[in-house]
Amino acid sequence: MSMRTAMVTRRRALALSALAVASPSLVRAQEPIRVTDYLGREVRLARPARRIVLAQGRHLAVLNLLHPEPVSLVAGWADDMLIGAVSESRAYVRRFPQTARIPVIGRSAQTLHLEPVLALEPDLVVMSGGAGARADVMTSLPLVRGLEAAGVPVAAIDFFYDPLANTVVSLRTLGRLIGRERQAAALIALHEAGIARVRTAIADAPTPRPTVMMHAHAGGTPCCNSPGRGTFDGFIRLAGGHNIGADVLSGATGSLSLEHLLTVDPDVYVATGGSYNGRGGVMLGADVDEAEARASLKQVIHGQKLDALAAVKNGRAHGIWHGCNDSPAHVMAIEALAKWIQPGRTNDLDPTRTLTTLNEKFAAVPLEGTYWTSLGSA
Amino acid sequence: MTAALGYRRMVGRRWIVLALLAVLLAAAVIGDVVTGASRLGAWDLLSVLISPDTAPAAVRVIVWDVRLPLAVMAVLVGVSLALAGAEMQTVLNNPLASPFTLGVSSAAALGAALAIVLEQGLPWLPAGWLVPGNAFVFAFGAMMLLQFMSQLRGAGVDALVLFGIALVFAFNALVALLQFIATETALQQLVFWSMGSLSRTTWPAIALLAGALALCIPFSARATWKLTALRLGEDRARSFGVDVVALRRGALVRVALLAGLSVAFVGTIGFVGLVAPHAARLMVGEDHRFFLPAAALCGALLLSLASLAAKAIVPGVVVPVGIVTALVGVPVFVLLVFGRGRSA
Repeated sequence: MSMRTAMVTRRRALALSALAVASPSLVRAQEPIRVTDYLGREVRLARPARRIVLAQGRHLAVLNLLHPEPVSLVAGWADDMLIGAVSESRAYVRRFPQTARIPVIGRSAQTLHLEPVLALEPDLVVMSGGAGARADVMTSLPLVRGLEAAGVPVAAIDFFYDPLANTVVSLRTLGRLIGRERQAAALIALHEAGIARVRTAIADAPTPRPTVMMHAHAGGTPCCNSPGRGTFDGFIRLAGGHNIGADVLSGATGSLSLEHLLTVDPDVYVATGGSYNGRGGVMLGADVDEAEARASLKQVIHGQKLDALAAVKNGRAHGIWHGCNDSPAHVMAIEALAKWIQPGRTNDLDPTRTLTTLNEKFAAVPLEGTYWTSLGSA
Repeated sequence: MTAALGYRRMVGRRWIVLALLAVLLAAAVIGDVVTGASRLGAWDLLSVLISPDTAPAAVRVIVWDVRLPLAVMAVLVGVSLALAGAEMQTVLNNPLASPFTLGVSSAAALGAALAIVLEQGLPWLPAGWLVPGNAFVFAFGAMMLLQFMSQLRGAGVDALVLFGIALVFAFNALVALLQFIATETALQQLVFWSMGSLSRTTWPAIALLAGALALCIPFSARATWKLTALRLGEDRARSFGVDVVALRRGALVRVALLAGLSVAFVGTIGFVGLVAPHAARLMVGEDHRFFLPAAALCGALLLSLASLAAKAIVPGVVVPVGIVTALVGVPVFVLLVFGRGRSA
């Protein structure tokens, strides 16, 4: 070994060890990442993912809470968010103009094809779990099989089908895969603390619980779409209410008749809303102001002939952003629901504070708009 | 002498059939009105109707905005679709012709899909009328297209039927394309629309459809003997001095108006337009003086029964009436066909 080579080798070793002292995380980052997603599938990455394909575009909102430059991580996505959450997308484009230039590879996981996904050379594909999803079902999807055969890791996350069970593990999975464990842990702590506060507040609430009508996407279709035993049902139960849809609808969602709703006359009425592009409905979400939200809620209630409901007369008619059904931000929705359903016991709950914390500590693109509203007493 | 007597007897029997159908329809409508998710009985209903001011607001809404409009709409749509189907089967000389099989429903679905998915529609329509407005324009347009084809030289009635079937496939493909690009909420809205539902009913919609019926029925009534003559064959009808082209044109315009409006307001309800005329034909024969009213009554009866059943299947849940129509109609139809087999 010549003197010169030995010097170089020693210098490189020194430099490396200096680097390791200065930044332990950098060394750790070089270790392969191994994580088990909520379906129990092990996902391995050589290094934190930087070219992610989102099979469900809306999951950008999750990356947004974990990473300061969420859009830079996305190599391609389904355009469900661009089409379905118009004002939210606009907010992303304002903050990160390249959002509008992310290659679109389909509309949803069902329409994704292997070739365009592989052409983007992703280092991770994030799938959304389906209802009753199982690891073997996920692995048997042609898209997933093809990706794994091509050596592209696939992870599944879920904030939609069973959010109360899967949110924590999904956040941990995603945080680990993009090298943001610490922020994910902080977000999990916020989420768990919020849920725990709600649980404590309603722990000794008497039964029977107040009845709640959750009018899903109110206004677009004839009265009344409602969650059955899925989606928002878990939120309502956690918030100390009884979802009247669950009494008659056996599926995840369904349609109650107006007459049934008027006859049951629930204690609390909650419409869900979003940005519907003037298609009618309760306006909620990014860029919507309070007055607009309340006016649209009033209009929908009147248009759907729900003025006669006791909940409307007693000032217990509210609107909530539908978008929180696929985001860890649902914790603020659960807090808002609990305040409406169990007003006497939930004085220390403050969904606005949760929203502020999300914006100050987590969100790269802040959630600026109106995410819930109340009609007030008639 | 005996022939005249036989004829009179036959006419009498047909009147009895019509009267029976009317009685059945009245019973079905009353049943429809008194049935619902709430325990509101006939007596409560009557008291709301007699003195609406004393009733609680919720009960008033149930009676005036749920029970009555839905029951009335079921009758109007049943009559409209059945009349449209009956006239179509006659002028196109095809037992499988109906607004559903020849593209009216598919065209309406395409119009509705454009409004729901792309939010494209007639600019001067208020928001609530965008979907029905679009659906009607497309349904009417499709029938006018068929009409235009029927006037082209050399286009026989059979070619017309085939053209209608081609329209169904073309419109269905376009609707599927729109479904493919639709958001989840728009897709849900569209799927729900295409299942056919009476719960969209409003009083202005009822007034429009009733107006269209009032406009069309006198023309249908005046055309009955010509339509009967047409059943003997196009040449025979011509020999009686019937202007077959004008007759067909008039009938198709009525079909476009009635079926287009019905589909626009309640969505796709198949089966009624196809089967009600057959049921009527089995009961009263081809004489359109009896055939048309019998078909109308059968259609109304079928849809009223379907509306009743839709409420009874799962209490509190709206089962789209389009699904129920077929479920209620098929056994009725099979019974009729078997009944005829025995008597023949």
